Amino acid sequence: MSDQRLFAAALLDPDAPCPAGLIAWNGSDPARRFAVYRNNVVVSLIDALADTFPVTLELVGEEFFRAMAGVFVRIAPPGSVLLVEYGAGFPDFIERFEPARSVPYLADVARLERLRVRAFHAADADPISPERIARALANPERLPTLRVTCHPSLSVLRSDYAVASLWAAHQGHGDLAQVDPFVPESALVVRVGLDVQVIALPSGGDALAAGLADGLPLGQAAALALAASEDFDLTAQLAMLLRVGALTALAQPTET
Amino acid sequence: MSKSLTSTALSATALSLALSTALSLAAAPASAADHQEKCYGVAMKGKNDCAAGPGTTCAGTSKTDHQGSAWKYVPKGSCEKTASPTSPTGFGQLAAFKEKKT
Repeated sequence: MSDQRLFAAALLDPDAPCPAGLIAWNGSDPARRFAVYRNNVVVSLIDALADTFPVTLELVGEEFFRAMAGVFVRIAPPGSVLLVEYGAGFPDFIERFEPARSVPYLADVARLERLRVRAFHAADADPISPERIARALANPERLPTLRVTCHPSLSVLRSDYAVASLWAAHQGHGDLAQVDPFVPESALVVRVGLDVQVIALPSGGDALAAGLADGLPLGQAAALALAASEDFDLTAQLAMLLRVGALTALAQPTET
Repeated sequence: MSKSLTSTALSATALSLALSTALSLAAAPASAADHQEKCYGVAMKGKNDCAAGPGTTCAGTSKTDHQGSAWKYVPKGSCEKTASPTSPTGFGQLAAFKEKKT
């Protein structure tokens, strides 16, 4: 192992000895200086996770969250120099983290928070103009094969738990006491201007948004949504997607 | 709607109707506010949707958290259940109020 790798490994392992060959500028004990640095590295990464996952933290409390994040930091240090990408694997880690089993929805809430960070940093894109939609409507027989491009910030999270309501209740919207976490919910995450929004999707709404995001033709995505729920309101969901600027381009496969 | 639709795509007519109605719905900004109410005293500073103090009439201008003269759109019915430390009732209110000292 190279000196550098040894140094990095010792930073994340509190039981590892201080790497050999270190000297302190003022003649103090290098092992003590190294211990301070080791602490700072782990604490700053835990702080980064706490900033990215504020609702996850609130759900389990500061003490539990920091202990859990500390375990994660040591087994999964940053793989990129961009700290904003740190924590992408945290939700999966939470799902497997035994002490968090009693809060089964914790991993999905963390997934939602991760998608919000992703959306915040996604590229800008202008919504489809009403004129472009009017042109598409002029050829109704071609609508079913129309393909829609979604905003780069858009993602759909399907959960067995009430992720959107839990998240909203922690923003001061709605009443946390009235949220039943065990009601399955799907959430749409999309950035509107500079504001990342979390929108609870009705049954079928997840199939429509996810289908369009996956590049399915409009007719097929709509049919999947209607198959998921007989009361699916296609008009209302399309209006919602248009209103938040979630749809950015229309194309026919044959169109030039 | 019949389940037999699952294997085929939706009819062009149905799509056309849904998309054109959606377009007009999306164009009317009033529809977004239909299910929301103005809630005073619950917005964090700078996060109000509109109306804070004399001379300031637009969004994002409130100077303090939970300012009693600043409102935020919230889902209908949730305003008076949202905690507001500055409100005499302890919760958000549907009209501007004078903040109590905290």
